[in-house]
Amino acid sequence: MKHLKALNRKAQRLDEAVAENSAEAIEEVVAMSAVAGCTATVDPGWEVDAFGGVAGLCQPMEADLYGCADPCWWPAQVPDTIINYPDWNKDAPSADKDWRKLDSVFPKDAL
Amino acid sequence: MKTKTIALFICLAASTLTAWAGTHPADLASNTAAPLVDGREYMVATNHPNLLNVLDLTDNSVLKTCALPDAYGPGSVQVSPDRRTAYLLNNHFSGIYGIELDTCEVTFSAKMSLSEAERSVAVFSVALSPDGKELYTIQNRTKLHIDHYEVLSPQLAVYKTDAGLNAEPVRVFPVPRQLSLMQAADDGTLYVLGPDVYKIDPRNGQYEVAVPLLNWKRPGYGAPDVLSAWAMQLPTREFSALYTAPKFKDGGQDLASADFVWGVLSIDLRTGRHELRDFAPLNEIYFTGTRSPANRNHIFTVLNGLRKYDIAAQKLLASAHLEHAYYQVNLNRDGSRVYLSGTLQDVAVHDAATLKKIATIPLPGGDMALCTAQIFVR
Repeated sequence: MKHLKALNRKAQRLDEAVAENSAEAIEEVVAMSAVAGCTATVDPGWEVDAFGGVAGLCQPMEADLYGCADPCWWPAQVPDTIINYPDWNKDAPSADKDWRKLDSVFPKDAL
Repeated sequence: MKTKTIALFICLAASTLTAWAGTHPADLASNTAAPLVDGREYMVATNHPNLLNVLDLTDNSVLKTCALPDAYGPGSVQVSPDRRTAYLLNNHFSGIYGIELDTCEVTFSAKMSLSEAERSVAVFSVALSPDGKELYTIQNRTKLHIDHYEVLSPQLAVYKTDAGLNAEPVRVFPVPRQLSLMQAADDGTLYVLGPDVYKIDPRNGQYEVAVPLLNWKRPGYGAPDVLSAWAMQLPTREFSALYTAPKFKDGGQDLASADFVWGVLSIDLRTGRHELRDFAPLNEIYFTGTRSPANRNHIFTVLNGLRKYDIAAQKLLASAHLEHAYYQVNLNRDGSRVYLSGTLQDVAVHDAATLKKIATIPLPGGDMALCTAQIFVR
């Protein structure tokens, strides 16, 4: 963590939990223990494989796209389909055939 | 995802479904009444946009496709002990549904969130009691306050499977965090995979560690890592998961010089006994591994390739190139064929002896993604 700097309150809470070094505090920030939406998922997203390369990742990437998007495993790269954008791929049932229909999303204006 | 009654009827149904591949589920209604046949072997698998397919393993064809309510994901299926109903976690991890396989009728449903002020999801956790009368899930709960979220204790929720639609749990118990896959043993005990494997008495919620994993004290080994999102109902009545772990040299604990190994955890649901068996060096990634019902010393693994190992000899016996990655490897009851599912929209069938490809079963609709497919004999 020494190379990371907390920029918001949630990140500061993570730092505080680690600094407290108590089992109770750390338990509250472990990955995937409570999926309230992808923003609550502490996962790295599009990753390298266990050997530091990419050959061990699913081939092709499209084979893994929905398997990772559905449970928020790529929260920084694809929309939150659990809570905020459940219809992101509604018209694209096959990632390898329909990927052209997948689009970026933008937060809606709250007003 | 499979079956036949009268050969001609089934062939027609299968060819029609093949022609429907890629079409909307609203167009898939006409074959839903095709019944399953007692004694025949089937596979069920779910896929995008929100379908449940029944495959007949006699000729590796699609017997029927059921359109599911609400939305897809993850499609984690458990088949009832009487082989008549498929229960699945779906609707973006927020609901469990019971689908009568003969008719495609929805006979059970339950929302994971038990109130408007709460948001709950289940992470791959759905299991059935040995008599099929109760359904279990682990609900990961968050209370939605007006200005913040409050993470609540996860709970084991117990439902009656005859409770119909919009069922409410008959019992709930607090449980440890990070629990996912579950299987019920013959004596009713729930085995639940988390950082360790817990055994839970679903009558009273009492639990204890059954198999330490992250906290194991295995001499010469470091802490294992487990990826498992697929609770397979195996004909061997095993609850199984792969692990990787560092195996230290010279009595030390040096990760840099350690050998990393693949192993399999097997819990016998008939006896409660378990074993941890290394079977290969960690030199590629697998998402699932399944021991053969014909020879438990053989294990099949899959992700980008299909492999077959001799566990005792820790020897690679056979290997097959795949056209794309698959998450899940299943075997039919006699262990003669390997079925690969998950990721995209086809099930690959391989010969278990040679690993040569026998067939590809295209599914109507789209990607299976994280679907948990199950093979069973009606």
